[in-house]
Amino acid sequence: MNMYKHELSAYRKSLFGWISALVGISILMMSMFPTFSKDAGAFVALLSNMPDAVLAAMGIHMETITSVLGFYGYIFVYILLGGAIQAMLLGTTILSKEVRDKTADFLLTKPVTRQAIVSSKLLAALTSLAVTNIIYMAAACLITALVSESAFSLKLLILATLPLFFVQLIFFATGLLVSVIWPKMRTVLPVSLGVVFAFFLIGALGATTGDDKLRLLTPFKYFDTSYIVEHSSYESLYLFITIAWVILATALSYIIYMKRDVHAV
Amino acid sequence: MNIFWREMKAQRKSLIIWCVGMVFLLIAGMSKYATLSVPGESQTLNELMADMPKSLQAIFGVGSLDLSTVSGYYGVLFLYIAMMATIHAGMLGATIIAKEERDKTAEFLLVKPITRSMMLTSKLAAALVGVVILNGVTSIGSLMAVQSYSNGENVNQDIMLLMGGLFILQLLFMLLGSAVASLLKLPKRAAGLTSGLLLLTFFISVVIDISGNLDALKFLTPFKYFDAKTVLEAGSLSMGYMLLSLALMVLALVGTYVGYNKRDLKV
Repeated sequence: MNMYKHELSAYRKSLFGWISALVGISILMMSMFPTFSKDAGAFVALLSNMPDAVLAAMGIHMETITSVLGFYGYIFVYILLGGAIQAMLLGTTILSKEVRDKTADFLLTKPVTRQAIVSSKLLAALTSLAVTNIIYMAAACLITALVSESAFSLKLLILATLPLFFVQLIFFATGLLVSVIWPKMRTVLPVSLGVVFAFFLIGALGATTGDDKLRLLTPFKYFDTSYIVEHSSYESLYLFITIAWVILATALSYIIYMKRDVHAV
Repeated sequence: MNIFWREMKAQRKSLIIWCVGMVFLLIAGMSKYATLSVPGESQTLNELMADMPKSLQAIFGVGSLDLSTVSGYYGVLFLYIAMMATIHAGMLGATIIAKEERDKTAEFLLVKPITRSMMLTSKLAAALVGVVILNGVTSIGSLMAVQSYSNGENVNQDIMLLMGGLFILQLLFMLLGSAVASLLKLPKRAAGLTSGLLLLTFFISVVIDISGNLDALKFLTPFKYFDAKTVLEAGSLSMGYMLLSLALMVLALVGTYVGYNKRDLKV
């Protein structure tokens, strides 16, 4: 319990930084919705003359393009990017910082098992991520309600926002695994940013051309807002991959951390 | 000179990874062009894009670049290339200075018979070489990747122009990173703050794209200084923004030297 509390207070400042960044981005971008919907309204007439193949290639969905949820789906990509960086950084630092800051021997000589250490750190990280998501979710609902002129489904908005948590879990678990596999990592930031941006770029490239094979490769594309809005559910294959990966990576991290040599001062 | 070679060796591995990543991005990105450039379809796509309102174009990440020509497509890719290269440069600039304090080797280094300015110069020179190498690899990779899809279109000049812009951006972020590491007393936070700055300016540029009427804010974000679209249309880099970048660079450089020389180091 001490470790849990200590981790929470250690991350408190950066947690609030990240939450305000995410909320800030969404306020900034959602505030453009009124102009956007005016522009898009005129454009829809033109779009309806286009062949279906072109629309599909561009990832344009006629039903959602002008709605507030459709717009939310577009900007949500950037929220996911920010959230993924937060989660990946959390994952890579939370275990490795003890070695880097030379506090590992202090912590590991305390009468606690390594399992207990990993568990309380994981729990603290999960709490941080959950707090992020709860606050962001509330903010997103509020902002959307403010900018939307017509009624929208709150349930769908929540369903469309929940993937932030899933994607964060994926990147958190990945970060954790990276940090135990590669214990000599001096700086976590380049690695974390590099990994997150690599996946983001794969997703962005796939989006401009509408390629389905690339989707499996990047968590950013697992939860497609327009699919969620249409079916009010997630694609089970991708949900399954998410759960499987998170469990696998976390379990592996536990096992490796139990056996690893921890470098002391 | 010893410090310079030491730093070159220290950044070798990560530089190789960055170069490989960059080449991969170029190949993956350009191979997508092959699927886009099917005659007929790309024409419809282009017409569609031309009629699109600015905010929608931004959401699809293309701006009003001509997707049917290879240089237009490369312009779309350029934003991502710039993002990668500036992340590398910013973090390199910040960590190369901050790491001595972070790894508790500052005491060791600074009791050697060198001045702090000499140390900074060697380190910045090493970072500069790293940035130049990444830019070189990106340029060569771009030329080769684009050439193979160009169908006789002459693209070399456009690409070299964009690479010139990229180099200025890299230098700018590298020096901003070193200034952050030197001026603030937060060696552990330097790289984080620099990348925060970078992400912030990136988001500002996205917001400018989407809103379509915030052009006045362009000077706030270096990502807009050498926007692929304007560069390709004008055929040259904007003089005003070049001067602005230069001024910012000088400011950051002065900040680095003055800040680091005056500061109490964390030992």
